[in-house]
Amino acid sequence: MQQSEDIHTIALLGNPNSGKTTLFNSLTGSNQKVGNYSGVTVEIKTGETRTPHGKRLRVWDLPGCYSLRAPSKDEQVAVDALSGKLDGEKPDLVVCVVDASNLERHLQLALQVIELGLPVVVALNMVDMAEKAGLRLDPAKLSEELGVPVVPMAADKGKGVIELKQALRFPFPAAAHAKWKTEGEDGDEARRDYILQICEVAARRTETHQSTVSDRLDAWLLHPVLGWVFFVGLMFTLFWAIFSWAGIPMGWIEAGQDAVAGWVEGLMGEGDLRSLLVDGVIGGVGGVLVFLPQILMLFFFIGLLESSGYMARAAFLMDGVMGKAGLSGKSFLPMFSSFACAIPGVMATRTIDSAKERITTMFVAPWMSCSARLPVYFLIVPLLMGESEGGSWKQALVLFGIYALGTLTAFVVARLLRGKLGPEKDHTGFMLELPPYRMPQWGYIIRHVVERGWSFVAKAGTVILGLSILLWALSTYPKLDADDDGEALAHSAMGRMGAVIEPVVKPLGFDGRIGTAILTSFAAREVFNSSLAVLFRVEESDDDVETRDSLREKLALAKWPDGTPIFTTLSMISILVFYIYALQCLPTSAVVAKESGSWKWAVGQFVFMTGFAYAAALVVFQGGKLLGFG
Amino acid sequence: MSQALGSDLRIDSTLTLNQVKVGCDVKIRVLSGPGCQRLRDLGFCEKMRLRKLTHGRNLICSMCGTRLAISRELADQVVVEPLDMAS
Repeated sequence: MQQSEDIHTIALLGNPNSGKTTLFNSLTGSNQKVGNYSGVTVEIKTGETRTPHGKRLRVWDLPGCYSLRAPSKDEQVAVDALSGKLDGEKPDLVVCVVDASNLERHLQLALQVIELGLPVVVALNMVDMAEKAGLRLDPAKLSEELGVPVVPMAADKGKGVIELKQALRFPFPAAAHAKWKTEGEDGDEARRDYILQICEVAARRTETHQSTVSDRLDAWLLHPVLGWVFFVGLMFTLFWAIFSWAGIPMGWIEAGQDAVAGWVEGLMGEGDLRSLLVDGVIGGVGGVLVFLPQILMLFFFIGLLESSGYMARAAFLMDGVMGKAGLSGKSFLPMFSSFACAIPGVMATRTIDSAKERITTMFVAPWMSCSARLPVYFLIVPLLMGESEGGSWKQALVLFGIYALGTLTAFVVARLLRGKLGPEKDHTGFMLELPPYRMPQWGYIIRHVVERGWSFVAKAGTVILGLSILLWALSTYPKLDADDDGEALAHSAMGRMGAVIEPVVKPLGFDGRIGTAILTSFAAREVFNSSLAVLFRVEESDDDVETRDSLREKLALAKWPDGTPIFTTLSMISILVFYIYALQCLPTSAVVAKESGSWKWAVGQFVFMTGFAYAAALVVFQGGKLLGFG
Repeated sequence: MSQALGSDLRIDSTLTLNQVKVGCDVKIRVLSGPGCQRLRDLGFCEKMRLRKLTHGRNLICSMCGTRLAISRELADQVVVEPLDMAS
């Protein structure tokens, strides 16, 4: 956002749900980018537009906020942007986007901006809906009273955008005089009285409360019984869709990855460079990309729920349940999203106002069993039950227990952590605007999905790529001139680490090979299966289920030097418990560090969760042995 | 003396938003408490009219065509008077 000489900056500011982002998209089209500020976890979007006279303008889309008093992170960013503290640059003009149906509320912010002495244009948005609701608007009178240009518009339908661009022509209007401000009078009271006075003449509403479509829908969707039935049904459908539909594009990505790896193998002779490209680079990047469909689908559904207005209702319904864990309804969505993947879950914590609640949610979100743990569960659970992989109800019950254990622990730890962090300094209790139900804005949803998907690939992908190369090097060097993959791995730095860590993992019931497989899976959990396959010398098949079946046969026969089996009931439960609790996902840690604004939280979370996983597995194995099991 | 009685009656007629029945139209008299600044930012202010729509852990009210959910704790900080008394 470096200012050049001939380009002026306008900032879009408004309450949440005022249609600000829709207006931003109408103004800038595809000509926009997302800027991240170090230490600040919310984003300001920047884009460019042109006035009808061809003048280029830079546009900032500031976070939605209710006032400039800045109690929340979003509002602090907006205040800093307006005062030029963010990047040393102040906007030349502020477009205050106000919802025409809610002038009594939205004008509060507009008046505060006018008081800052910045030139202001008011975008009187959603006039069509306001008039439909029976409001009698007089934009000319409003402009006269405020002393700034007022442009009536319906940004979602593209109405009024040209007129707004006309109002932004150069030179910009002069800063208005805040005529409501009087010496000695309380600013809030003066603004409030002035707004009520303006609305009396410029936005007259009918006296009686009118029942809207949203009122009628909410009578069902927020009903104490039917509301819950709908909510649970919707969440199950969403969950199921993410798991089942995403499988198809995930298969394509895996096939594409195999094809690229095959192509590289055909092109290059055997050697370290080929191994680095195939096992390190393609394997590492593919390991991340394979989760892209799930992430895109999750963000698509989140966008759909947000855009339609239902998300606020879900937060409202879940507030009581989340309250038992010391959180609020706003933590529900991040926790729920984490069942698919903790990365979008952690990103979704941005909507939480309370900083302490936000960090607590981020801290426990990875305990919601994500999809990357499933391959490990699918390997161990049938072995534990002494069955082949399939639809046994006992296996389903164990899987349900695994999910329940992770969730319950997350709730208990959230409660303890929330208690430890202490009450919020400016705790104000739960408050939420329930926006009217609207038809989803597909353009916004697709843009949101693409933005998030790209952010995931670009940021998490670079981290995991680097680490994959590191892991490849550790599992390749020092080299052994032998054809046996297992021996070569045992000779490598990673294999030697396995031998070193055997005394550490033995109390959990694991040998050095399981320890090594666990160690390799710290970059990504699903690596556990392929590492075990290499370490236990299993021939890989094209079919995952077949590979897991033959791996299970090998594992069942694996023995300690004294002849006792390694994979006992207790050691397998110990593995499962370890995988439920351990934070073995570096992209998650990278995202937590970025979102919390500090590596300390990410490191603390990693150490705590891994320590907890170790302790829990130790208690299970040693406690079980003491009780005579295993 | 009569003036004091009138004032007492007026105070007696005020309730918190929690105490109001569902479906009632009220006018805000006073906002007082630690959360009142945030309530003001959200649009609650003296003289504003609203209708209480639901009751519970978090209650919903309609104000200027917008539905707002606030906790019981916050609703206790909104002192209102029934609209017929206020007008």
